[in-house]
Amino acid sequence: MSPGWWTLAGVSLAVLTLGALLRVRAGRITTPGTFRGEERGRRPVFEQLPPEMAEALRGAVRPHGTEADAAVTLVQLSTAFCAPCRHTRVLLSALAEREPAVRHVEFDLSHHPEWSTPLGVHTTPTTIALDPNGHELFRIRGVPRREGLTEALRSYVD
Amino acid sequence: MSTDHPVDPRGVRFTAWITSGVLSVGLVTGSWRVLAAQTALFALCAFVGLRMNPWGQLYRKTLRSHLRELPEEQGEDPGPVRFAQGVGFAFTLLATVGYATGWTTFGVVTNALALAAALLNAAFGYCLGCRLYLLVRRLAPAGSPTESH
Repeated sequence: MSPGWWTLAGVSLAVLTLGALLRVRAGRITTPGTFRGEERGRRPVFEQLPPEMAEALRGAVRPHGTEADAAVTLVQLSTAFCAPCRHTRVLLSALAEREPAVRHVEFDLSHHPEWSTPLGVHTTPTTIALDPNGHELFRIRGVPRREGLTEALRSYVD
Repeated sequence: MSTDHPVDPRGVRFTAWITSGVLSVGLVTGSWRVLAAQTALFALCAFVGLRMNPWGQLYRKTLRSHLRELPEEQGEDPGPVRFAQGVGFAFTLLATVGYATGWTTFGVVTNALALAAALLNAAFGYCLGCRLYLLVRRLAPAGSPTESH
């Protein structure tokens, strides 16, 4: 085999591995302790954000004044024309409709590009689950898996 | 500004498969002509418009009529796709120059990288160049915010 064939085989193998890894990682639930050290998740997410962002998120978690009416708010961060974001939206809004203790809100990062770094969101869609005080419970990169998400929510909504 | 309509993601992947084929031929033959042809195609899509893509036209004429109608909201933003074509253009241009000047290793490496990106898009629907577009926009956000919907 000529070097060209070897390179072709190598590239194909690398792409297969990378693609499989991306598939496996997508939709998995990450809890705060497992990334970015211990800081995230301990303090409410509002305190780690610039005031304007914190205000918007606070409003999302507690839209009717100070009384929290949902145990978990799923904050979905999307970008315009992103197909997996649409799938996520359909899945999460249906879930929120079925489950009164869960709220779903969506923010378009193309309108707020400056949010991505403080939130640690570098792929869309990313869904961050917040408790009424704004503590991050977990996050999901990519389209969530229905069963896994329902399972993860169970301990918070009962 | 561009007047590109939302693009059919299935057409994008169709094109990515053909591009992968062309880039594989380039890698095996080491021919600068093959790479030059692909460079020209990328340039057409990136700088003129995605509608100019001959593979896209082939897709619309043949496969699409057999597939179910694409719901309006399933269209992809042409912006990142065009940007990705520009990234492909840069890499294949380097590979063309590498092969043509006898700097073969350089040609092989850039050709292989372009192939990897095309294959990743074709096989997994993961568009590396489109991710790059988001990254670039984040670093240099567009001046005028688009209206919310």
